[in-house]
Amino acid sequence: MSYSTHTTPSGFLLPSIHAAQAFYTKQRNQQTQAIFTENWSRLILAYARHKRLFTLRLEDAETSGNPWDEIFRNTRINRRLFPNHLSHILQDMVSKNLAVYDPPKQTSSVLLFWRTPEEWADVLYEWADSTGLMNSILTFYDITEPVVPSQLSDIPVAILRRAINVLVKVNRAQLIAVADGEGVRFLAQTGR
Amino acid sequence: MGGNQSVPKITKQDRAILDLKLQRDKVKQYQKRIQGILDREHEIAKQHLAVGQKDRAIFALRKRKYQESLLAKTDGQLENLEKLVSTIEFSLVEVSIMHGLQQGNEVLKEIHKEMNIEAVEKLLEETAEAREYQREIDDMLANTLSADDEEAVQNELRQLQEEAFVTEAPIRMELPSVPTERPVSKVEEGREEERIPDPEQRERVPVLA
Repeated sequence: MSYSTHTTPSGFLLPSIHAAQAFYTKQRNQQTQAIFTENWSRLILAYARHKRLFTLRLEDAETSGNPWDEIFRNTRINRRLFPNHLSHILQDMVSKNLAVYDPPKQTSSVLLFWRTPEEWADVLYEWADSTGLMNSILTFYDITEPVVPSQLSDIPVAILRRAINVLVKVNRAQLIAVADGEGVRFLAQTGR
Repeated sequence: MGGNQSVPKITKQDRAILDLKLQRDKVKQYQKRIQGILDREHEIAKQHLAVGQKDRAIFALRKRKYQESLLAKTDGQLENLEKLVSTIEFSLVEVSIMHGLQQGNEVLKEIHKEMNIEAVEKLLEETAEAREYQREIDDMLANTLSADDEEAVQNELRQLQEEAFVTEAPIRMELPSVPTERPVSKVEEGREEERIPDPEQRERVPVLA
């Protein structure tokens, strides 16, 4: 059996390991499983970036007809990833800060960090700068649903909040809270 | 590296603007919801019509109409909110422009304080005097040259002029003129004849007999 890469209908290039039957089964050998887990998490993040998916639920592996079918199901070799295997992978990803359980205190749904909060912070700050929104007060809605679509369109507030916190720590942003909700103001860097 | 840069205080104004913007967001979200209802009622009316329940379809369409009027109303409200937000933000810009103008004015005043007209006049006078003085010194120095020295200076000048002329002269030489005919190589003659030259070339190239 020869393993080869495969391009999905949405234009995503699956790595050759995706065509290996063993890839879908939990391995007894710890070392092998560690390699598989790493490959799975890389594949999940790459695919999430490709499709701009931010959340992943265990049930995405259980049921079909969701955006994850293309990587969790390989009909060409008649294999699929099972939820308990995915659960193991998610646990590993959370421990490596590649994802975080969201909402917290459960383990069936994660937010994927195909960009780390620090990277999102840079994107956010650059966006504010390039759109001339420095120093004006923005609501989260202004950022997640901008009039002109941006890289930040539809970003989950949980990730947005983390990115803003990164900026607040270096005095590049300021959180403003009122009774009705929250807003943020990006601060231009003055002086070196 | 700006780590300890002071963060501007959150003023009452800031909170007011944020409040307004949050209200605006709420209106936007409300509009989204109504749009959803509109689409659904339309779907429902279609389904009822498909199974022949005309009165039910009409009921759904009536509900839809009502929601539509709400949507139109919120449009107006949204416009008001957005106008207010823009006005406030523009006023803030105006305030900062005023501030900038004020500061510029102060600086200009400071500078003018140091540069009153009398001082400038005095300075100009002094400069003129200094220039006059320098000219006198120049004259005096020129007069101290003896006749011999003057002669030597003139000689040197002449020599320099001649040298300049000599270096210029060799530049004038004759160059061969550019050939006016197209060179024709003997080897290609045979082929050249077979090929039909394009009209422009035919005029210029003398065809061999």
